[in-house]
This record gives sequence, structure tokens and C-alpha cells, in this order.
Amino acid sequence: MNKIFAVIRREFIERVRTKSFLIGTFLFPVMFGVFGYLPSALMQRETGARGLVLLDGTTGGTGQRLAAAFDSVTIGDGPGALARYRVVRVEAGGRLDALRDSVVRQIGLRDGPVDAADGILILTGEAVDSGKVTYLGSNVTSFRDMSRLERVLEPRLREERLRRQGAPANVVDAAAIQLDMQATKVTEGKTTGVSSEASFFLAYIINFLMYMTLLLYGIQVMSAVIEEKSTRIVEVLISSMTPFQLLMGKVIGVGAVGLVQIGIWGVTGFYVTSLFKGGASASAGMAVDGTARSMTLPAVNPDLVIVVLVFFLLGFFLYSSLYAAIGAMCNTQQEAQQANTPITMLIGLGMLSMFALINEPSGTMARVLSFIPFFTPIVVPVRYAIAPLPLSEVLLAVAVMLLGIAGTVWLGARIYRVGVLSYGKKPTFKELWRWARTS
Amino acid sequence: MTTSVVVADRITKRYAGHTAVHDLSMEVPSGGIFGLLGPNGAGKTTTIRMLMSIITPDDGRVTLFGGAGSGRDLSTRIGYLPEERGLYPKMRVLDQLAFLGEAKGLSRWDARKRAKAWLERLGLGEWSARKVSDLSKGMQQKVQFAGALQHDPDLLILDEPFSGLDPVNSQVMKEVVVDVARSGRTVLFSTHIMEHAEKMCERIVIVARGEKVVDGPLAQVKRDFGKSQIALAFTSNIATAHRLLQDRSLVLRADDLGATAEAELAAGIEPEALLRALVMAGVGLSRFEVVDPSLESIFIAKVGPEAARPVAREVAV
Repeated sequence: MNKIFAVIRREFIERVRTKSFLIGTFLFPVMFGVFGYLPSALMQRETGARGLVLLDGTTGGTGQRLAAAFDSVTIGDGPGALARYRVVRVEAGGRLDALRDSVVRQIGLRDGPVDAADGILILTGEAVDSGKVTYLGSNVTSFRDMSRLERVLEPRLREERLRRQGAPANVVDAAAIQLDMQATKVTEGKTTGVSSEASFFLAYIINFLMYMTLLLYGIQVMSAVIEEKSTRIVEVLISSMTPFQLLMGKVIGVGAVGLVQIGIWGVTGFYVTSLFKGGASASAGMAVDGTARSMTLPAVNPDLVIVVLVFFLLGFFLYSSLYAAIGAMCNTQQEAQQANTPITMLIGLGMLSMFALINEPSGTMARVLSFIPFFTPIVVPVRYAIAPLPLSEVLLAVAVMLLGIAGTVWLGARIYRVGVLSYGKKPTFKELWRWARTS
Repeated sequence: MTTSVVVADRITKRYAGHTAVHDLSMEVPSGGIFGLLGPNGAGKTTTIRMLMSIITPDDGRVTLFGGAGSGRDLSTRIGYLPEERGLYPKMRVLDQLAFLGEAKGLSRWDARKRAKAWLERLGLGEWSARKVSDLSKGMQQKVQFAGALQHDPDLLILDEPFSGLDPVNSQVMKEVVVDVARSGRTVLFSTHIMEHAEKMCERIVIVARGEKVVDGPLAQVKRDFGKSQIALAFTSNIATAHRLLQDRSLVLRADDLGATAEAELAAGIEPEALLRALVMAGVGLSRFEVVDPSLESIFIAKVGPEAARPVAREVAV
């Protein structure tokens, strides 16, 4: 027992002491922030006013009313907010095609005038009636620009149509009210105040976190086995402790490092999110619509942190004993990099299954995936992040994991025991089976 | 009457294609230096691994210190230096050595104390905080050696301990080994270099192709080998001398090295007869001496020249 402890301590201290541990601990959240936040932040970045030419072929003031509607749209709220559109209304007066062509010629020129138009909106009487409007512009690839245009245009055109039908003003006003749905997560009969984006974002983080840590720490165990094998130190160690003791010491030691690292992230996450809880919000939404709805940060509850830690540990034991077996089979890191592909793919599948869960976190598929040991460590925490599972289901998942671990540790330890002392050709599946069976 | 420290009783180890060790029995008495000799690939390392219970014999059994415990159970009392040596390259020297001590069952505090003392003794004190990869090959070998010795084992098992060492370090190690034996503890080492064994060992076992061919105290082995050897050195007419050494009516076997040779006389032939024949043929002699058979010649006789000196043979051709 003392010997296992010596191995655990060595693995732990030697790893925590490295620069890469320190860098990893601080860099991962930063990296995650960058990858999780930056794309949506970049998409929501305000791009300044858009030049819009309104080619007006309508009669009866429709064009004027629309131009005024565009003029009133501002970037952000508040008194100092700038106008979103620089609107120029041009009366078509029967020369619509010629005017359109001359405006289009100026759009998207590299050396054009500074406040050149970004697009031209062609508005005719028929267009108002049929709802078929033409927009020609340099910014049509921007979902956001297009959806913003639509959000202004759609109710206005509806209003114009109602007006033409002679509808009373109160009906017109009632029809102009826009939809604004607030989706909020309900958990165990209580509203949580967490928006759907926030809850998706949290599940996304947990998914990525579990995937990364299982992979990184599993591969660390594999590399450690190969290092001991290729430096031949393993023989001295095996002469004074059993291969199983050495393997367990290594797995527990590396696992402890992982636990510390995730613990640091978990506590930081808990602290940071509870700081923001009181009203402050960060805009980190995945939404691409024009409202740029700011999103409250998801709450990282202590029970979620515990679930993540427990399932990391279980998943790590399951996978690391397989990674250790791969390491023992191979002679070089390069060889192992190829040999570990099947295991790495299993972890990858677990991560991808999140996209099947997100729509139906308590459906049959989610339940089944929760009880397949290779997927459990990723699926259960992700489901828990979306909506806490009943304790009975969590415990059942733990039991399934323990069974799975018993299986992989049995197999891994047997392959490891023979493999660490075998050099030369990589074993075939037949040889591996023989290794596993010899007592 | 001292009990045997190591008893191997008819141990056998088979691998997929071949038998590495076959039906090998040996006893290592307490105290002194015991040599396990054999050409490369004879099964020395496999035997040692079975003694250490790194691998289990397919047949037969190993008894250590007269008790039931395996080499692993008794690792506190055994120091082991494997043939293929290694250390964690990124670990600090002192931590490394202390860890090896802990693996042997020492307490952390004790392991660190002993590791420090050994590093001082081997002149590596100022390197304790450096990484192993900063050390030269020779220094690393010393650290490994200290790793096998630091817990004061009763039995020291060394697999090819002097291979790859420069003469100075080799001498340092030999002195340490002799010291250990002098303090009443037991050393078992394997080698394919007969000079080392001849100078150091009290008892030897020679294995070839997985089987034991010689076993006993070195003096006894030499006596049993019987006939005295004639050590010869030639100054002229060497070709003639070689022809005479081929004469099976005079010489049973000759270990011909060119300018020197060791010859074993045919039955009933006195040394004088060979001397007369050489002088009559006009061979110039700078040495003609009746000597005990060298371990090397016994080794070659028992193992066969092909297995014994592959390198020398290549040079001669």
C-alpha cells in the first residue's frame, strides 16, 4: 500500500510541478472563453450605420412612412444612440429600372465614396401587396443584417396592406406588435431564471470540458506508461511492486491531478457565475437575431460541480486503464498515437451525442446513452447541466460505470502486465487475447 | 552451515517460439560473490527475472532466503539492477533516488536521507537538484547503482553490471560490489565477460542455450576441468607453431590467439613432449607455462567457441 502511495505521490508531484499544468489550468478557461464567446461576440459586433437607398415606386406615402421607420431604428438603446440606417429615399417615378441600375453601379466599389450605399431596397405597389420585396446589396451574406431589415420591413408592409384595406388605426396598431418570447428553464417545478441560451451554453461547456479532460488525462496515462517502458525503468519498479500496484498508482496519481485541475475550474466557475447572478449580465448569446438579447450567465451549482467531478473520475478510470494497455502494447509515442484511435473515437462519439441530447434531455435516447459506460461520463453531466437528473438515475449510472470500470481495468491490467516487459513488434489481436487470458 | 539465499529448483520458461530456460537448478549460498555466466542469449536475464519474480517460471520454483515469499515480497531485502537500465529523464536526481527507495519499501524520510548519503558517496552531491537528463551516461549509471544499493539489501542481483561502463567507473562499481560481499552479504551477478567473473566470483554457474553446463565453486570447477593448460607465447615461426597445435596426437584442444595460445594436452602427453616438439620445429618461444585452466577456456570448452566469442571470431576471419 505504501508503494502505491509512493507512485501516486510521484505522479502527482511531478505533474503538478510542470509548467504545462500551470499553463493548462489558467489557459483552458481563457481558451474556452475565446472559443465559446468570441464567435458569437464577433457576430454581434456592431458594424456601424448601413447606407440604404429606398427606391420608392409606391404612392400614397408608403415610401415616406417606411423611410421614417428605418430612420427611427437606432444602434442600442438610450438617448445618445446612433441611427442604424442612413436612408436616402428616391422617387422612382417611372424610371425605376434606370435608377436601380445607376445605384447598383455604386454599391460595393472598393474605392467608392465613404457614405456610399450598402444596398438598395426596391419598393413597388405590387411588392407591398404581394410581400415580395427585392433587396440588392453588398451585405446579403450577413444573416443579422438581413434579419434586421426583415424585422423592420415585415410589420410595416403588413401595416400598409391593412391600411389599403381600410382597416381602422387600432387594428393596424394591434397587428404591429412584435413577438418577444422569453424562454426560461424550469427545473423540478421551479423556474430558475436561466434562459435557454444560458442553459445550452452551460451544457456545451460541460460537454467540451468532459471530452477534453478525459482525452487529455487518458493520453497522459498512456504517455507515462510508454515513458517508463522506453526508459526501461519499469523493470526495476516491477521487481519491487506488482504491475497492478504500479498501474493503479499511476492511474490514481494522474486522476488526482485531473481532479485538482477541474476542481479549480469548477470553484472558479461557481464563484464567477455567482458574482454575476445579481442582475448583471454578460452578452454571450448564441442567438443571431437582431435584438442582440443579452444573456445571464448560467449558474454553476455545487451539485453540478460534484456530478462533473464524480463522472470525470469514473470516466477517467474507465478510459485510462484502456489507454495504459495501449501504452503497454506500443514501443514509441508515435506508435501509440495510431493505436489509441479507437478509444479516442469512443470519447469523441460521447461528445457528439450531446447534439442528440440537447433537444430531448430526458428522452429515450438520452436515457439509453446514459447507461452505456463509454458514453455515461459525458452524457450524464451534460444532461445534468440541462436539467438535474433524479438521484436514483445518477446512482444507477454510477453503478453501470463501476461495472464498466471493473471490465476495462481487468482487461487493461492484464495486457499491461505482459506488455510493459515486451519489446519489439506490436502484438496482434490474437496475442493480446492470449496476454489477457494467461494468469 | 549457512542456508542458501537463492534456490532455483528446475525452473523452466518457454516463449512462443523457443525455450529460454530449461530445467535449471542452482543454489546461491549466503555471502560472497556468485557469477551467472553465459554467452549472449543463453537465458541469464530470463533466469534473473524469474528469481526476481518479474516473470513466473512455467515449471519449477524459486525459494529466496529459505522462505515462501517471492522476490517482490522480499524486495526490501533485495537490490536489483536490471540489464536494461533507465531513470525518469525529467525527474530530479534526489527525488528519483528517493522514489526508488520508497518503491523498495523504505519510508519517505528514510529514503531521502539514504539517497542524499549515496549521492555524496558517489560524488554526485551537487547534482541532486538537477534533472536526470542533465547527467552524463556514466553519472546516470552511478545513480542506478545507488538505487539498487541504498536500502542495504542482503542480496544484490546485478544483471551485466559492468557493461557500458568506462574503466574508471567500472572499477568504482567493482569495489562497491566487493565491499558488499565483504560485509557478509550476497552478490549474484551475470556477465558474459569471463575476466570479471574470474577475478571476483567464488562460485559460478555457466548456462548455454537455456541449460546449465557448469556449476560449483570456481576453484572446484577449475580442478574438475582437469588437465592443466599450457600458456604459450611465440616469437618466431608462428605458422609452424600453429600447425603443431593442430596435431591431435599432441594437443587435444587449442585456444589459438595468434601470437599467444592456450593448449590442452592430449591424453598421456606430458608438457615436455610439446615443448620438445616446438623447439625441434624451430619455434621461438617467449612463454611456455603450465597454468590452471582459465575460466575463459573452460567457458569455451563447455559452451562451444561459436557461442562464446562471436565478436572475436569475426575479427579473426
